[in-house]
Amino acid sequence: MDLTLIVVLVIALALFFDFTNGFHDTANAMATPIATGALRPKVAVALAAVLNLVGAFLSTEVAKTISGGIIREGDDGVLITPELIFAGLIGAIVWNMITWLLGLPSSSSHALFGGLIGAALVGFGVQAIDFSVVLSKVVLPALLAPLTAGLVAYSATKLAYAITRRYDGKPDGRSGFRHAQIFSSSLVALAHGTNDAQKTMGVITLTLIAVGLQPAGSGPEFWVVVVCAVAIALGTYMGGWRIIKTLGTGLTDVKPAQGFAAETSTAATILASSHLGFALSTTQVASGSVIGSGLGRRGSKVRWRTAGRIGIGWLLTLPAAGAVGALAALVAHLGPVGVLIDTVAGVIVIVGIFLWSKRSEVSAGNVVSEVAASGKVVKIKRNPKPKPNPKPKKVKP
Amino acid sequence: MIDWTAFLVVLVAALVGTAVVVSTYSLGIRLLTLSGRTPVVAPAEFTDAITIMTPAEAAQAAKKAAKAAKKSPLTAGQKRAAFVCAVGCFTLSGVAVLYGIYLIVPALHGG
Repeated sequence: MDLTLIVVLVIALALFFDFTNGFHDTANAMATPIATGALRPKVAVALAAVLNLVGAFLSTEVAKTISGGIIREGDDGVLITPELIFAGLIGAIVWNMITWLLGLPSSSSHALFGGLIGAALVGFGVQAIDFSVVLSKVVLPALLAPLTAGLVAYSATKLAYAITRRYDGKPDGRSGFRHAQIFSSSLVALAHGTNDAQKTMGVITLTLIAVGLQPAGSGPEFWVVVVCAVAIALGTYMGGWRIIKTLGTGLTDVKPAQGFAAETSTAATILASSHLGFALSTTQVASGSVIGSGLGRRGSKVRWRTAGRIGIGWLLTLPAAGAVGALAALVAHLGPVGVLIDTVAGVIVIVGIFLWSKRSEVSAGNVVSEVAASGKVVKIKRNPKPKPNPKPKKVKP
Repeated sequence: MIDWTAFLVVLVAALVGTAVVVSTYSLGIRLLTLSGRTPVVAPAEFTDAITIMTPAEAAQAAKKAAKAAKKSPLTAGQKRAAFVCAVGCFTLSGVAVLYGIYLIVPALHGG
Protein backbone atom coordinates (compact mmCIF):
# COMPACT_ATOMS: atom_id res chain seq x y z
CA MET A 1 0.00 0.00 0.00
CA ASP A 2 1.09 3.48 -0.75
CA LEU A 3 2.84 4.98 2.23
CA THR A 4 1.14 8.36 1.99
CA LEU A 5 -2.31 6.84 1.57
CA ILE A 6 -2.02 4.96 4.85
CA VAL A 7 -0.73 8.09 6.57
CA VAL A 8 -3.75 10.03 5.36
CA LEU A 9 -5.97 7.17 6.47
CA VAL A 10 -4.42 7.16 9.94
CA ILE A 11 -4.76 10.92 10.32
CA ALA A 12 -8.40 10.78 9.26
CA LEU A 13 -9.05 7.98 11.72
CA ALA A 14 -7.23 9.83 14.50
CA LEU A 15 -9.32 12.91 13.89
CA PHE A 16 -12.45 10.80 13.95
CA PHE A 17 -11.32 9.42 17.29
CA ASP A 18 -10.81 12.99 18.48
CA PHE A 19 -14.33 13.78 17.38
CA THR A 20 -15.81 10.80 19.25
CA ASN A 21 -13.75 11.84 22.27
CA GLY A 22 -15.37 15.27 22.31
CA PHE A 23 -18.73 13.70 21.60
CA HIS A 24 -18.30 11.27 24.49
CA ASP A 25 -17.02 13.80 27.00
CA THR A 26 -19.19 16.92 26.72
CA ALA A 27 -21.03 15.79 29.81
CA ASN A 28 -17.82 15.76 31.85
CA ALA A 29 -17.65 19.52 31.92
CA MET A 30 -21.25 20.45 31.50
CA ALA A 31 -23.29 17.85 33.41
CA THR A 32 -22.96 19.61 36.77
CA PRO A 33 -23.63 23.24 35.72
CA ILE A 34 -26.63 22.10 33.69
CA ALA A 35 -27.81 20.02 36.63
CA THR A 36 -27.74 22.96 39.03
CA GLY A 37 -29.14 25.36 36.46
CA ALA A 38 -26.02 27.50 36.46
CA LEU A 39 -25.98 27.57 32.68
CA ARG A 40 -28.59 27.13 30.00
CA PRO A 41 -27.85 23.85 28.22
CA LYS A 42 -27.33 25.51 24.85
CA VAL A 43 -24.95 28.05 26.31
CA ALA A 44 -23.13 25.35 28.25
CA VAL A 45 -22.54 23.22 25.18
CA ALA A 46 -21.39 26.12 23.02
CA LEU A 47 -19.08 27.27 25.80
CA ALA A 48 -17.65 23.77 26.18
CA ALA A 49 -16.95 23.55 22.45
CA VAL A 50 -15.19 26.91 22.30
CA LEU A 51 -13.10 26.21 25.39
CA ASN A 52 -12.11 22.78 24.14
CA LEU A 53 -10.85 24.51 21.03
CA VAL A 54 -8.88 27.05 23.06
CA GLY A 55 -7.61 24.43 25.50
CA ALA A 56 -6.07 22.36 22.75
CA PHE A 57 -3.62 25.16 22.01
CA LEU A 58 -2.41 25.60 25.57
CA SER A 59 0.07 22.82 26.12
CA THR A 60 1.69 19.85 24.39
CA GLU A 61 3.13 17.91 27.33
CA VAL A 62 0.70 15.00 27.04
CA ALA A 63 1.18 14.76 23.29
CA LYS A 64 4.90 14.34 23.91
CA THR A 65 4.23 11.50 26.37
CA ILE A 66 2.32 9.63 23.70
CA SER A 67 4.55 10.37 20.75
CA GLY A 68 7.77 9.77 22.61
CA GLY A 69 7.54 7.14 25.27
CA ILE A 70 5.08 4.30 25.44
CA ILE A 71 6.20 2.40 22.39
CA ARG A 72 9.94 2.07 21.94
CA GLU A 73 10.84 3.65 18.69
CA GLY A 74 14.07 4.47 16.89
CA ASP A 75 17.23 2.42 16.52
CA ASP A 76 17.16 0.31 19.67
CA GLY A 77 13.43 -0.33 19.63
CA VAL A 78 11.00 -1.31 16.97
CA LEU A 79 9.90 0.48 13.88
CA ILE A 80 6.39 1.75 14.36
CA THR A 81 4.43 1.35 11.20
CA PRO A 82 1.39 3.41 10.31
CA GLU A 83 -0.46 0.09 9.99
CA LEU A 84 0.11 -0.53 13.68
CA ILE A 85 -1.23 2.87 14.69
CA PHE A 86 -4.10 2.33 12.31
CA ALA A 87 -4.98 -0.95 14.03
CA GLY A 88 -4.71 0.68 17.45
CA LEU A 89 -7.05 3.47 16.42
CA ILE A 90 -9.59 1.02 15.08
CA GLY A 91 -9.53 -0.70 18.47
CA ALA A 92 -9.97 2.59 20.31
CA ILE A 93 -12.81 3.90 18.14
CA VAL A 94 -14.73 0.64 18.08
CA TRP A 95 -14.54 0.29 21.85
CA ASN A 96 -15.49 3.94 22.33
CA MET A 97 -18.55 3.55 20.14
CA ILE A 98 -19.61 0.30 21.80
CA THR A 99 -19.39 1.69 25.32
CA TRP A 100 -21.18 4.82 24.21
CA LEU A 101 -24.00 2.73 22.78
CA LEU A 102 -24.25 0.52 25.85
CA GLY A 103 -23.96 3.42 28.25
CA LEU A 104 -20.98 1.78 29.90
CA PRO A 105 -18.70 4.14 31.76
CA SER A 106 -15.42 4.17 29.91
CA SER A 107 -12.51 6.39 29.22
CA SER A 108 -11.64 7.52 25.71
CA SER A 109 -8.01 7.80 26.72
CA HIS A 110 -7.78 4.25 27.96
CA ALA A 111 -9.48 3.03 24.82
CA LEU A 112 -6.74 4.78 22.85
CA PHE A 113 -3.89 3.39 24.94
CA GLY A 114 -5.44 -0.06 25.03
CA GLY A 115 -5.81 -0.12 21.28
CA LEU A 116 -2.26 1.04 20.63
CA ILE A 117 -0.73 -1.33 23.16
CA GLY A 118 -2.75 -4.26 21.86
CA ALA A 119 -1.71 -3.55 18.30
CA ALA A 120 1.96 -3.18 19.26
CA LEU A 121 1.91 -6.44 21.22
CA VAL A 122 0.60 -8.36 18.22
CA GLY A 123 2.84 -6.55 15.77
CA PHE A 124 6.14 -6.85 17.60
CA GLY A 125 5.74 -8.83 20.77
CA VAL A 126 6.30 -7.89 24.36
CA GLN A 127 9.61 -6.07 23.84
CA ALA A 128 7.84 -3.37 21.83
CA ILE A 129 6.19 -1.90 24.86
CA ASP A 130 8.00 0.17 27.41
CA PHE A 131 6.07 -1.18 30.35
CA SER A 132 7.65 1.10 32.90
CA VAL A 133 6.40 4.12 30.96
CA VAL A 134 2.99 2.49 30.55
CA LEU A 135 2.88 1.87 34.29
CA SER A 136 4.13 5.25 35.42
CA LYS A 137 2.42 7.46 32.85
CA VAL A 138 -0.79 5.59 32.09
CA VAL A 139 -1.81 2.89 34.55
CA LEU A 140 -0.87 4.54 37.84
CA PRO A 141 -2.28 7.94 36.91
CA ALA A 142 -5.46 6.13 35.89
CA LEU A 143 -5.76 4.65 39.37
CA LEU A 144 -4.57 7.67 41.31
CA ALA A 145 -6.24 10.51 39.41
CA PRO A 146 -9.86 9.68 40.34
CA LEU A 147 -8.80 9.16 43.95
CA THR A 148 -6.95 12.46 43.95
CA ALA A 149 -9.89 14.27 42.40
CA GLY A 150 -12.30 12.61 44.81
CA LEU A 151 -10.23 13.56 47.83
CA VAL A 152 -9.80 17.12 46.63
CA ALA A 153 -13.50 17.47 45.80
CA TYR A 154 -14.47 16.04 49.19
CA SER A 155 -12.29 18.57 51.03
CA ALA A 156 -13.40 21.42 48.79
CA THR A 157 -17.08 20.64 49.35
CA LYS A 158 -16.59 20.45 53.10
CA LEU A 159 -14.73 23.75 52.96
CA ALA A 160 -17.35 25.53 50.85
CA TYR A 161 -20.16 24.35 53.13
CA ALA A 162 -18.29 25.10 56.32
CA ILE A 163 -17.44 28.64 55.28
CA THR A 164 -20.97 29.52 54.17
CA ARG A 165 -22.82 27.64 56.92
CA ARG A 166 -25.20 29.64 59.08
CA TYR A 167 -26.70 28.20 62.21
CA ASP A 168 -29.24 30.97 62.68
CA GLY A 169 -31.35 29.74 59.77
CA LYS A 170 -30.97 32.95 57.82
CA PRO A 171 -30.31 32.76 54.06
CA ASP A 172 -26.78 31.59 53.40
CA GLY A 173 -26.50 32.83 49.81
CA ARG A 174 -25.22 29.48 48.55
CA SER A 175 -27.11 29.91 45.31
CA GLY A 176 -24.39 32.47 44.55
CA PHE A 177 -22.19 29.49 43.72
CA ARG A 178 -24.13 29.25 40.45
CA HIS A 179 -22.15 32.21 39.16
CA ALA A 180 -18.92 30.53 40.20
CA GLN A 181 -19.97 27.36 38.41
CA ILE A 182 -19.99 29.16 35.08
CA PHE A 183 -16.27 29.75 35.49
CA SER A 184 -15.34 26.45 37.09
CA SER A 185 -17.12 24.38 34.45
CA SER A 186 -15.49 26.48 31.75
CA LEU A 187 -12.19 25.61 33.34
CA VAL A 188 -13.04 21.91 33.14
CA ALA A 189 -13.83 22.26 29.42
CA LEU A 190 -10.52 24.07 28.96
CA ALA A 191 -8.69 21.35 30.84
CA HIS A 192 -10.42 18.70 28.76
CA GLY A 193 -9.19 20.41 25.63
CA THR A 194 -5.62 20.57 26.88
CA ASN A 195 -5.56 16.93 27.96
CA ASP A 196 -7.70 15.06 25.46
CA ALA A 197 -7.01 16.90 22.21
CA GLN A 198 -3.34 16.29 22.91
CA LYS A 199 -3.82 12.55 22.86
CA THR A 200 -4.80 12.73 19.22
CA MET A 201 -1.99 15.15 18.47
CA GLY A 202 0.34 12.60 20.01
CA VAL A 203 -0.96 9.82 17.79
CA ILE A 204 -0.69 11.86 14.60
CA THR A 205 2.80 12.99 15.57
CA LEU A 206 3.73 9.37 16.27
CA THR A 207 2.60 8.47 12.75
CA LEU A 208 4.53 11.32 11.17
CA ILE A 209 7.64 10.30 13.10
CA ALA A 210 7.13 6.67 12.08
CA VAL A 211 7.14 7.46 8.37
CA GLY A 212 10.06 9.84 8.75
CA LEU A 213 8.21 13.07 8.02
CA GLN A 214 9.26 14.41 11.38
CA PRO A 215 12.38 13.82 13.53
CA ALA A 216 11.97 11.41 16.46
CA GLY A 217 11.29 13.03 19.80
CA SER A 218 9.90 16.25 18.37
CA GLY A 219 6.60 17.78 19.41
CA PRO A 220 3.46 18.12 17.34
CA GLU A 221 3.41 20.38 14.30
CA PHE A 222 1.19 23.43 14.36
CA TRP A 223 -1.27 22.21 11.74
CA VAL A 224 -1.72 19.03 13.76
CA VAL A 225 -2.63 21.11 16.81
CA VAL A 226 -5.13 23.11 14.76
CA VAL A 227 -6.96 20.18 13.20
CA CYS A 228 -7.11 18.30 16.51
CA ALA A 229 -8.51 21.35 18.28
CA VAL A 230 -11.19 21.77 15.61
CA ALA A 231 -12.11 18.07 15.65
CA ILE A 232 -12.56 17.90 19.41
CA ALA A 233 -14.54 21.15 19.51
CA LEU A 234 -16.82 19.92 16.76
CA GLY A 235 -17.34 16.63 18.57
CA THR A 236 -18.12 18.43 21.80
CA TYR A 237 -20.71 20.59 20.10
CA MET A 238 -22.37 17.70 18.28
CA GLY A 239 -22.38 15.58 21.41
CA GLY A 240 -24.00 18.39 23.30
CA TRP A 241 -27.10 18.45 21.15
CA ARG A 242 -27.90 14.93 22.15
CA ILE A 243 -27.43 15.85 25.77
CA ILE A 244 -29.82 18.77 25.48
CA LYS A 245 -32.44 16.48 24.03
CA THR A 246 -32.31 14.17 26.96
CA LEU A 247 -31.96 16.73 29.68
CA GLY A 248 -33.84 16.17 32.81
CA THR A 249 -34.02 12.44 32.54
CA GLY A 250 -31.18 11.24 34.61
CA LEU A 251 -29.34 14.03 36.27
CA THR A 252 -28.77 13.76 39.94
CA ASP A 253 -29.38 16.31 42.59
CA VAL A 254 -26.30 18.50 42.57
CA LYS A 255 -26.23 21.70 44.54
CA PRO A 256 -24.38 24.79 43.34
CA ALA A 257 -21.77 24.75 46.11
CA GLN A 258 -21.13 21.08 45.54
CA GLY A 259 -21.00 21.46 41.78
CA PHE A 260 -18.54 24.32 42.08
CA ALA A 261 -16.29 22.29 44.38
CA ALA A 262 -16.44 19.27 42.06
CA GLU A 263 -15.67 21.29 38.93
CA THR A 264 -12.80 23.15 40.52
CA SER A 265 -11.27 19.89 41.71
CA THR A 266 -11.66 18.29 38.30
CA ALA A 267 -10.04 21.23 36.56
CA ALA A 268 -7.19 21.48 39.08
CA THR A 269 -6.41 17.77 38.91
CA ILE A 270 -6.49 17.59 35.11
CA LEU A 271 -4.45 20.75 34.64
CA ALA A 272 -1.82 19.74 37.19
CA SER A 273 -1.49 16.31 35.60
CA SER A 274 -1.42 17.60 32.03
CA HIS A 275 1.33 19.93 33.05
CA LEU A 276 3.44 16.97 34.19
CA GLY A 277 2.61 14.97 31.07
CA PHE A 278 0.28 12.40 32.63
CA ALA A 279 -2.28 11.30 30.11
CA LEU A 280 -5.10 10.65 32.49
CA SER A 281 -8.73 10.09 31.78
CA THR A 282 -10.81 13.23 32.16
CA THR A 283 -13.91 11.09 32.48
CA GLN A 284 -12.55 9.30 35.50
CA VAL A 285 -11.34 12.48 37.13
CA ALA A 286 -14.73 14.12 36.68
CA SER A 287 -16.46 11.04 38.06
CA GLY A 288 -14.12 10.93 41.03
CA SER A 289 -14.88 14.57 41.74
CA VAL A 290 -18.64 14.13 41.56
CA ILE A 291 -18.50 11.18 43.95
CA GLY A 292 -16.10 12.96 46.29
CA SER A 293 -18.17 16.13 46.41
CA GLY A 294 -21.32 14.12 47.05
CA LEU A 295 -19.63 12.49 50.02
CA GLY A 296 -18.69 15.92 51.27
CA ARG A 297 -22.34 16.78 51.77
CA ARG A 298 -24.13 16.01 54.98
CA GLY A 299 -26.30 12.93 55.10
CA SER A 300 -24.60 11.22 52.14
CA LYS A 301 -24.12 7.52 51.67
CA VAL A 302 -22.28 5.58 49.00
CA ARG A 303 -24.25 3.24 46.77
CA TRP A 304 -21.52 0.65 46.45
CA ARG A 305 -23.28 -1.33 43.77
CA THR A 306 -23.32 1.62 41.35
CA ALA A 307 -19.76 2.49 42.29
CA GLY A 308 -18.73 -1.09 41.59
CA ARG A 309 -20.33 -1.05 38.15
CA ILE A 310 -18.42 2.10 37.26
CA GLY A 311 -15.20 0.58 38.59
CA ILE A 312 -15.61 -2.53 36.47
CA GLY A 313 -16.11 -0.38 33.39
CA TRP A 314 -12.85 1.38 34.14
CA LEU A 315 -10.94 -1.86 34.58
CA LEU A 316 -12.38 -3.36 31.43
CA THR A 317 -11.56 -0.57 28.99
CA LEU A 318 -7.80 -1.01 28.64
CA PRO A 319 -7.84 -4.77 27.94
CA ALA A 320 -10.99 -4.67 25.82
CA ALA A 321 -9.75 -1.92 23.52
CA GLY A 322 -6.42 -3.77 23.52
CA ALA A 323 -8.12 -6.92 22.30
CA VAL A 324 -9.87 -5.09 19.44
CA GLY A 325 -6.61 -3.33 18.58
CA ALA A 326 -4.73 -6.62 18.63
CA LEU A 327 -7.30 -8.23 16.37
CA ALA A 328 -7.10 -5.33 13.94
CA ALA A 329 -3.30 -5.52 13.97
CA LEU A 330 -3.45 -9.24 13.27
CA VAL A 331 -5.59 -8.60 10.22
CA ALA A 332 -3.48 -5.61 9.15
CA HIS A 333 -0.46 -7.93 9.11
CA LEU A 334 -1.83 -9.48 5.97
CA GLY A 335 -0.65 -6.37 4.15
CA PRO A 336 -2.72 -3.96 2.06
CA VAL A 337 -5.57 -6.46 1.90
CA GLY A 338 -5.61 -6.63 5.69
CA VAL A 339 -5.72 -2.85 6.03
CA LEU A 340 -8.58 -2.82 3.56
CA ILE A 341 -10.44 -5.46 5.57
CA ASP A 342 -9.81 -3.46 8.76
CA THR A 343 -11.09 -0.27 7.18
CA VAL A 344 -14.22 -1.90 5.81
CA ALA A 345 -14.90 -3.70 9.10
CA GLY A 346 -14.30 -0.52 11.09
CA VAL A 347 -16.60 1.53 8.88
CA ILE A 348 -19.30 -1.16 9.08
CA VAL A 349 -19.09 -1.22 12.88
CA ILE A 350 -19.15 2.58 13.18
CA VAL A 351 -22.02 3.08 10.74
CA GLY A 352 -23.88 0.16 12.29
CA ILE A 353 -23.54 1.56 15.79
CA PHE A 354 -24.53 4.99 14.59
CA LEU A 355 -27.67 3.69 12.91
CA TRP A 356 -28.45 1.54 15.91
CA SER A 357 -28.16 4.53 18.22
CA LYS A 358 -30.50 6.51 15.98
CA ARG A 359 -33.02 3.72 16.17
CA SER A 360 -32.85 3.14 19.86
CA GLU A 361 -34.29 5.52 22.37
CA VAL A 362 -31.86 8.17 23.50
CA SER A 363 -31.67 7.86 27.24
CA ALA A 364 -29.65 9.28 30.05
CA GLY A 365 -27.83 5.96 30.22
CA ASN A 366 -26.07 6.44 26.90
CA VAL A 367 -25.87 10.19 26.72
CA VAL A 368 -25.45 11.98 29.99
CA SER A 369 -23.02 9.23 30.68
CA GLU A 370 -20.66 8.32 33.34
CA VAL A 371 -20.43 11.58 35.21
CA ALA A 372 -24.14 11.71 35.85
CA ALA A 373 -24.02 8.01 36.70
CA SER A 374 -21.31 8.58 39.25
CA GLY A 375 -23.50 11.17 40.91
CA LYS A 376 -25.86 8.35 41.71
CA VAL A 377 -23.15 6.57 43.65
CA VAL A 378 -23.75 8.91 46.52
CA LYS A 379 -27.11 8.80 48.20
CA ILE A 380 -28.03 12.06 49.85
CA LYS A 381 -30.88 12.77 52.19
CA ARG A 382 -32.80 15.68 50.77
CA ASN A 383 -31.96 18.93 52.50
CA PRO A 384 -30.97 17.78 55.98
CA LYS A 385 -31.22 20.53 58.54
CA PRO A 386 -27.91 21.80 59.87
CA LYS A 387 -27.26 20.71 63.41
CA PRO A 388 -27.23 23.67 65.73
CA ASN A 389 -24.16 24.33 67.78
CA PRO A 390 -24.20 21.83 70.65
CA LYS A 391 -23.80 24.50 73.26
CA PRO A 392 -24.40 28.04 72.14
CA LYS A 393 -21.98 30.32 73.84
CA LYS A 394 -23.56 32.80 76.15
CA VAL A 395 -21.83 36.07 75.64
CA LYS A 396 -22.07 38.29 78.62
CA PRO A 397 -22.62 41.88 77.70
CA MET B 1 11.46 4.46 37.79
CA ILE B 2 7.98 5.40 38.88
CA ASP B 3 7.92 9.05 39.71
CA TRP B 4 6.03 9.09 43.00
CA THR B 5 7.02 12.67 43.67
CA ALA B 6 5.16 13.75 40.55
CA PHE B 7 1.96 12.14 41.83
CA LEU B 8 2.42 13.87 45.14
CA VAL B 9 2.98 17.15 43.33
CA VAL B 10 -0.28 16.67 41.41
CA LEU B 11 -2.18 15.88 44.61
CA VAL B 12 -0.77 18.80 46.53
CA ALA B 13 -1.11 21.23 43.63
CA ALA B 14 -4.72 20.21 42.98
CA LEU B 15 -5.56 20.32 46.68
CA VAL B 16 -3.97 23.70 47.30
CA GLY B 17 -5.30 25.23 44.08
CA THR B 18 -8.83 24.04 44.70
CA ALA B 19 -8.72 25.04 48.37
CA VAL B 20 -7.62 28.56 47.50
CA VAL B 21 -10.22 29.06 44.78
CA VAL B 22 -13.10 27.48 46.69
CA SER B 23 -12.38 29.07 50.05
CA THR B 24 -11.91 32.58 48.68
CA TYR B 25 -15.13 32.32 46.72
CA SER B 26 -17.01 30.87 49.70
CA LEU B 27 -15.65 33.59 51.92
CA GLY B 28 -16.82 36.10 49.33
CA ILE B 29 -20.34 34.70 49.52
CA ARG B 30 -20.21 34.71 53.31
CA LEU B 31 -19.13 38.33 53.38
CA LEU B 32 -21.67 39.28 50.73
CA THR B 33 -24.38 37.79 52.92
CA LEU B 34 -22.96 39.61 55.89
CA SER B 35 -23.08 42.88 53.98
CA GLY B 36 -26.79 42.45 53.43
CA ARG B 37 -26.56 41.55 49.75
CA THR B 38 -27.28 37.86 50.00
CA PRO B 39 -26.98 36.44 46.48
CA VAL B 40 -30.10 34.68 45.28
CA VAL B 41 -29.40 33.18 41.90
CA ALA B 42 -32.23 31.28 40.33
CA PRO B 43 -31.39 28.49 37.91
CA ALA B 44 -31.04 29.56 34.28
CA GLU B 45 -33.25 26.74 33.10
CA PHE B 46 -35.40 24.30 35.00
CA THR B 47 -34.75 20.67 34.50
CA ASP B 48 -35.99 17.70 36.44
CA ALA B 49 -32.72 17.72 38.27
CA ILE B 50 -33.48 20.99 39.95
CA THR B 51 -35.76 20.20 42.81
CA ILE B 52 -34.32 22.81 45.06
CA MET B 53 -35.67 26.06 43.73
CA THR B 54 -38.67 26.94 41.57
CA PRO B 55 -39.21 30.57 40.49
CA ALA B 56 -41.72 31.04 43.28
CA GLU B 57 -39.24 29.67 45.77
CA ALA B 58 -36.54 31.92 44.37
CA ALA B 59 -38.72 34.99 44.89
CA GLN B 60 -39.49 33.79 48.38
CA ALA B 61 -35.80 33.28 49.09
CA ALA B 62 -34.99 36.77 47.83
CA LYS B 63 -37.67 38.23 50.12
CA LYS B 64 -36.39 36.25 53.07
CA ALA B 65 -32.84 37.38 52.35
CA ALA B 66 -33.90 41.01 52.19
CA LYS B 67 -35.76 40.64 55.46
CA ALA B 68 -32.80 39.00 57.13
CA ALA B 69 -30.55 41.74 55.82
CA LYS B 70 -32.74 44.41 57.38
CA LYS B 71 -32.34 42.88 60.79
CA SER B 72 -28.55 42.77 60.49
CA PRO B 73 -26.81 44.05 63.61
CA LEU B 74 -24.04 45.57 61.53
CA THR B 75 -23.75 49.28 60.93
CA ALA B 76 -23.82 50.66 57.41
CA GLY B 77 -20.05 51.16 57.50
CA GLN B 78 -19.42 47.59 58.58
CA LYS B 79 -21.70 46.35 55.83
CA ARG B 80 -19.83 48.38 53.29
CA ALA B 81 -16.53 46.99 54.56
CA ALA B 82 -17.89 43.45 54.32
CA PHE B 83 -19.03 44.11 50.77
CA VAL B 84 -15.62 45.45 49.78
CA CYS B 85 -13.97 42.40 51.33
CA ALA B 86 -16.40 40.14 49.48
CA VAL B 87 -15.49 41.73 46.17
CA GLY B 88 -11.84 41.34 47.15
CA CYS B 89 -12.38 37.64 47.81
CA PHE B 90 -14.08 37.07 44.44
CA THR B 91 -11.23 38.91 42.73
CA LEU B 92 -8.67 36.80 44.59
CA SER B 93 -10.50 33.67 43.52
CA GLY B 94 -10.42 34.79 39.90
CA VAL B 95 -6.77 35.76 40.08
CA ALA B 96 -5.93 32.33 41.51
CA VAL B 97 -7.61 30.67 38.53
CA LEU B 98 -5.82 32.93 36.05
CA TYR B 99 -2.50 32.25 37.76
CA GLY B 100 -3.15 28.53 37.46
CA ILE B 101 -3.76 28.90 33.73
CA TYR B 102 -0.66 31.05 33.42
CA LEU B 103 1.40 28.33 35.08
CA ILE B 104 0.35 25.56 32.72
CA VAL B 105 0.71 27.46 29.46
CA PRO B 106 4.38 27.32 28.47
CA ALA B 107 3.92 30.05 25.86
CA LEU B 108 3.09 32.62 28.53
CA HIS B 109 6.27 32.34 30.55
CA GLY B 110 8.71 31.35 27.88
CA GLY B 111 9.13 27.76 29.17
